[in-house]
Amino acid sequence: MWISDPELTVEGASIAAAPAPTRRRRARAGVALDWVRDRLATTPGRLVLVSILVVVGAVVFGAIALGAEQSRERAAKAARSQTELLLVQAKNLYTALQDANATVATGLLSGGLEPTSSRLRYQRDLRVGTEALTTLTRRAGTSPATAAAIRTVANQLPVYTGLVESARANNRQGFPIGAAYLRRAVLLSTSSMLPAAGRIYRTQAQRLNEDYNTGTANAALVTFIVASVAALILLLLAQWYVTRISRRILNVPMLLATVAVAAVSVWGVIALIDEQNSLATAQRDGSDSVEVLSAATVLLSRAQGDLSLTLVNRGSDTTDQADFNSVQPRLGGLIGEMSVLARRTDTGAAANRLDGEYASYLAQANSIKGLEKKGKLPDALKLEPTTAAISYQLSNDLTGQIGTAQGRFARGASDATSALGGLALAIPVITVLAAVAALLGLRQRINEYR
Amino acid sequence: MRSRLRHLFGLALVAATVAGCGTTSGQASRIALAALAPTTPQSKASAPQPATLCTASLRPPPTLPAPGKMPGRSFMAKIYKRGYLIAGVNAATLNFGYLNPSTGQIDGFEIDLVRELARAIFGNPDAYQPVALTASQREPFVQQGKVDVVVDVTTMTCARSRKVDFSTVYYDAEQQVLVLSDSTAKSISDLAGKKVCATAGTTPIYVMQHLPHPPDAVGASQAIDCLVLLQQGLIAGISTDSSILGGFTAQDPNTRIIGPSIAPVPYGMEISKAHPEFVRFVNGVLAKLRSDGTWRALYDRWLRGIQGSNPVLPAPQYEG
Repeated sequence: MWISDPELTVEGASIAAAPAPTRRRRARAGVALDWVRDRLATTPGRLVLVSILVVVGAVVFGAIALGAEQSRERAAKAARSQTELLLVQAKNLYTALQDANATVATGLLSGGLEPTSSRLRYQRDLRVGTEALTTLTRRAGTSPATAAAIRTVANQLPVYTGLVESARANNRQGFPIGAAYLRRAVLLSTSSMLPAAGRIYRTQAQRLNEDYNTGTANAALVTFIVASVAALILLLLAQWYVTRISRRILNVPMLLATVAVAAVSVWGVIALIDEQNSLATAQRDGSDSVEVLSAATVLLSRAQGDLSLTLVNRGSDTTDQADFNSVQPRLGGLIGEMSVLARRTDTGAAANRLDGEYASYLAQANSIKGLEKKGKLPDALKLEPTTAAISYQLSNDLTGQIGTAQGRFARGASDATSALGGLALAIPVITVLAAVAALLGLRQRINEYR
Repeated sequence: MRSRLRHLFGLALVAATVAGCGTTSGQASRIALAALAPTTPQSKASAPQPATLCTASLRPPPTLPAPGKMPGRSFMAKIYKRGYLIAGVNAATLNFGYLNPSTGQIDGFEIDLVRELARAIFGNPDAYQPVALTASQREPFVQQGKVDVVVDVTTMTCARSRKVDFSTVYYDAEQQVLVLSDSTAKSISDLAGKKVCATAGTTPIYVMQHLPHPPDAVGASQAIDCLVLLQQGLIAGISTDSSILGGFTAQDPNTRIIGPSIAPVPYGMEISKAHPEFVRFVNGVLAKLRSDGTWRALYDRWLRGIQGSNPVLPAPQYEG
C-alpha cells in the first residue's frame, strides 16, 4: 500500500497543479473513453460504435466527394459562361483597336477621298471596341490591374478618335499635317491603348487557363476515388463484422447502402472523367484555336497598319518598317500553329485557304516593300489597295474561323458542365440515404440484443 | 450524345492512366500569348547639328554636255546608262517635296529641280526616281551610293560637307519663328524659357540652344509634328526653316511668322565626294536655271504663295 503512495501523491499533485479547464476536459475525455470502453465490452455496444463510425464515414465521404466535384464544376462553369466570353471580348477590343489603326492608315493612303468601305470598317471597329469595353467594364473589373487597363483604354479612345478626325480633315485638304495627326493617333494607340488591351487579353487568357487547370485537375478525381474507396471499405468492413456476429449472411439495408455508395462513386468517377475530357476537348479543339486565330488577327492588322504607315510616312520613318519585320515571323509562326490545330479539329480546308491568303498577302506586302525601298512610291501605292483587300479578306476569314472555334469550345464546355449535371445533388442525397439505410441495418441487429 | 459515348468507351483506358489524363498543355495558348508579347521600340537620339555653314562648291565646267551625250566614264554617263536618276527627297514639306494626296506623286519645288537635272542628263524630265528619306538617312544614302543626289531641304553645314559634297545653294531659307496668331511674342527672345519645337537633332535646335536667351528647345521626330504640338497648345512656338514654316501657315491660317531671321539656312544638294564631276555638272545646271529664268518660274509655281513674291535669287559661291 505505501509503495503506491508516492505515485498517488505525484498524480494528485499534477492534477492539482493543472488549470481547471484542462482538468475538466481531461475528465470529459476520460468519460468518453470510459463510454467507448463500456460499449466495446458488449456486442450491441460494439454495434452502436460501428453505427457511429458509418455515419461519420458517410458524412466525411459526402463532404470530400462534393468538394472535389464542386471545384471541378465551378471551374467548368466559369470557363463556359464567364472566362471564355470575356476572353473573346478582350480579343474583340484588342483586334478592333489594332484594326482601326490599319484601316485609318490605309484609308488615308488613298488621298483626299477616303473610300466609304474603309470609313465603315473604322466605324465598325470603334463600335466593336466600345461594346467590348462596356462588357469588360461590367464583368471583368475584379482585378485592379484589369480595371486600370480598362480605364486607360476608355480614357484614351476619345482622344484617339479626335486625332483621327483631325488627320482626316487635314488629309482631305491635301495637307501633310494630316499624316502627322495620324502618326500621333497611332502612337497614342500603340503606346498606351494597345498595350492596355493586350494586358486585358493576357489576363483573361490566363484566367481561362486557370479554369482549365482546376477543371481538369487530377487531384479532384484522385480525392474523389480515394474517398469513395474508403467509404466502400468502411461499409464492407461493417457488414463483415455484422455477418460474423449475427451469423446471417445478408443485411439488406446495409447492402443497399453499399450499392448506393458504389453507384454514386462510379457515377462520379465517370462524370468527372467525362467532364475532364470534355473540358480538355473544349481547350484543344476550341479555345486553343480561338487564341491562336485571335493573335493572328491582331498581328495581321498590325502588319497591315505598319505597311500602310510606312507608305503614309513615305520612308521618312523606319520604325513602322522595323515593326512589320518583327511582326511578320511571329504572324508566320501563328499561321503554322493554326495549321497544326486545324489537323486536330478537321478544319484543314479552311486552314489551307487561310494559308493561301496569307501567302499571297505576304508576297504582295513584300513587293510593296521592295517598291517602297527603291523609292517607287507611286507604284507601291498602286499595289496598296489590293494588299489591303487581301488583308481584309484574310482578317474576315480569321474572324469566321474564330467563330467556328468558339462553337467547338461552347460544345466542349457545355458537355463538361452537363457531364457533372445532377452529381452535386446526388452526392449528398445518396450519402444521406446510404447512411440512413446502414443505420437501419445496424439497428435491426442492435434490437436483436434487447 | 456520340461524344459522350466516345468518352465512356475511353473510360477504361483513361482510368488506367489517370495521372496523364486530361492534362492540357496549354501550348497553343502560350504560343499565341508569346506572339502578342509587346516589343520595345528602340529610340535613337542624335545630337543637334552645329550651325557653321560651308556654302562654297565646285565651279561648273565652261559648257555643259548636251543631254544624252555624257562624257565617258563620268558618273553622269553611269546614270545615263541606268536610265534614270535616283534622288533622295522629302515627302512631307509642303510645296518643296511632298506627296500630293490628289495625285499620289511626290511634287514640289525640289522635285522640279530633280526633273531639271533629269532633263539635263536624259533630255527627259521624267527619267528620275524619288526616294523619300529621313534626315538621318541623307548622308549615309549618298555615301553608300543608294541615291545619286539628295534634294531634301538640307542646310549646307560644315559638318555635313565633311561627309558629302554640296552643290551651290539652290534656295536661301532663314530660321524663323512661328507662333499662334494670338501670341503676344514679337521675336524668339520673347519665348525665352518657353517650349519651342524643331526637328530633333537638326540645326535649328542647336541655334536655339545657343541664343543669348534660349527658349526650351523641344525636338519632334519631324517638323510637321511640331505643328501638331502647336495646334494642341503643347508648345509656344516652332523655330525652323522659313521654307517649312511657310508651308505651316498655309496649312493653319491661325499661325503667323514673327521676328527677324535668326540664322541663314542655305539649301544645297548632297552628292558623293567620289563624283566631283557630277557636282560640277549639277552646279552648271543650277547656274543655267538661275540665268534662264527657270528658277524664278519654279519659284512662282510652288513657293510664291507661301514664301512671298520677292524672292532673292540664291548667289552661288565657288571654290576650286
